[in-house]
Amino acid sequence: MQLFMDGIFLGSIYALFAIGFTLVFGILDQLNLAHAAVFSAGALVGIELVTRFGISIWLAIPLVLIVGAVLGILIERIAFRPLGGRHDAHFAGLISSIAFGAIILSVLQALYGADTRRFPPDAFPSARFELLGATVSLLQVIILVISVGLMVVLTWLVAKSKLGRGMRTIAENPHAASVLGLNVGRISSTTFAISSALGAVAGVLFTLNVNAAQLGMGHAVELKALAVIIVGGMGSLPGALIGGLILGLAEVYAVNTVGSSWRDMVAFGLLFLILILRPQGLFGARKVREV
Amino acid sequence: MSEPIAGEPIAGQPIPSEPIAGQPILSVENLSVSYGRVDAVRNVSFEVPAGALVTLVGANGAGKTSILNAVSGLLRPRGGVIRFKGEDVTRDPAHKLVKAGLVQVPEGREILGTLSVAENLSLGGWHRGSTLAASVARVYERFPVLHERRKLQAGALSGGEQQMLAIARALVAEPEVLLLDEPSMGLAPKIVDEVFAVIAEIRAGGTTVILVEQNARRALAAADYGYVVETGAITHSGPARELLADERVIEAYLGIS
Repeated sequence: MQLFMDGIFLGSIYALFAIGFTLVFGILDQLNLAHAAVFSAGALVGIELVTRFGISIWLAIPLVLIVGAVLGILIERIAFRPLGGRHDAHFAGLISSIAFGAIILSVLQALYGADTRRFPPDAFPSARFELLGATVSLLQVIILVISVGLMVVLTWLVAKSKLGRGMRTIAENPHAASVLGLNVGRISSTTFAISSALGAVAGVLFTLNVNAAQLGMGHAVELKALAVIIVGGMGSLPGALIGGLILGLAEVYAVNTVGSSWRDMVAFGLLFLILILRPQGLFGARKVREV
Repeated sequence: MSEPIAGEPIAGQPIPSEPIAGQPILSVENLSVSYGRVDAVRNVSFEVPAGALVTLVGANGAGKTSILNAVSGLLRPRGGVIRFKGEDVTRDPAHKLVKAGLVQVPEGREILGTLSVAENLSLGGWHRGSTLAASVARVYERFPVLHERRKLQAGALSGGEQQMLAIARALVAEPEVLLLDEPSMGLAPKIVDEVFAVIAEIRAGGTTVILVEQNARRALAAADYGYVVETGAITHSGPARELLADERVIEAYLGIS
């Protein structure tokens, strides 16, 4: 039971990263590879706010959310929008977002150095309690609640809200969206802002959970999140959540049964197996959206 | 066909086009559009009186769509001034113009194939807020077949139905000026008749219509006023009836069918 709980909590961090990531990747059809840098930025800015300015973690998280949103808008404006008119805009945006991510990381390194940084030990209440025979921390529960909550809110947003309808229209046909009078730039910006805000908060929660933040920590998670998105089903937010949880569970069980050096092989092997059995992903149905 | 242009009818004239009497709802002065170093449109000027049906005819690649897209705010013109309801809208983006009442039905229809007919229509009313439902209901009344198929994926409609959907979707925005780009393209003759009947109806309802067509004979027969576009410039203009009878226009653009 303890393993199961640990797997779920680890998985919900992957899910949190993947949900923000897939909002742009799965819904807008653009792969924003600066997302990993936003993840790191969220963590390091969060640490800075708490250690240097003595701000409580409960205030730091909303501030990080804003920092993430601003970064998202910058990424959209600088790395994606100027290339929007190109016929290879998807690929070009992917490359320029790698560059923009590298710039973010360089700025972070200049500001905070390359060393591993941590939140002060008392930054987050270390309350622990028993749940179904397993010991869980308050932090783990909060991460899980935030992930599930965001999944529900964002699924509603994409499926039912006007913004979501705009996002889906832009993904299918950006030209038609402009003709119809949708403000394509603003909708894209908003989507990037939400996505990056989630990425930045995921960075803070991840850092609290493992108690260490490095500049490059986003990249390992980014690769896993990509796998999670594809296994969950492109564009599916519930898929990103479930995929994240499966990956977390697979990793935890792999470490405990065959050893930590086998972790990635077992976890990715399992994801690979799912894709062989279900090539469209667990919740993948993006070309036959319900009518 | 009635003469809709106020004041004295103007004889068919070569460039420069003479302004049409009465208050134009849309006017374009010296519009130029280029793609990189290629000039697609050079110094094009024309006026559209409120309530009229004006057509831009010409061969494929003449620059008609570029003119339309510049007017719609989808293309940034290199030079010139576009005025809509008296205001300079040259630099306004498409979403502002749609909100202001200038709506385009794009070439190739551009319906959203994976969304339902109903979703396509509600997208047409992106800016309409609480009056959207009433506008959609009106459109369903005019196009009962769309109401029948409202739950179908738009991609499953026939070509003619998709064109009707594209027009209906633009009407949901309640346009004052409707710009139609090649609405008859790729449709069977019988469906083309239906499309032109719908255009006549829209115009009869008081909406100003700008029609871009390769099917020049058909378009001029339906229009009040016509402009012939050739390699990015207007070469002939005048009341549509006179253009239809103009030897030079017939020879160059209408063929001998």
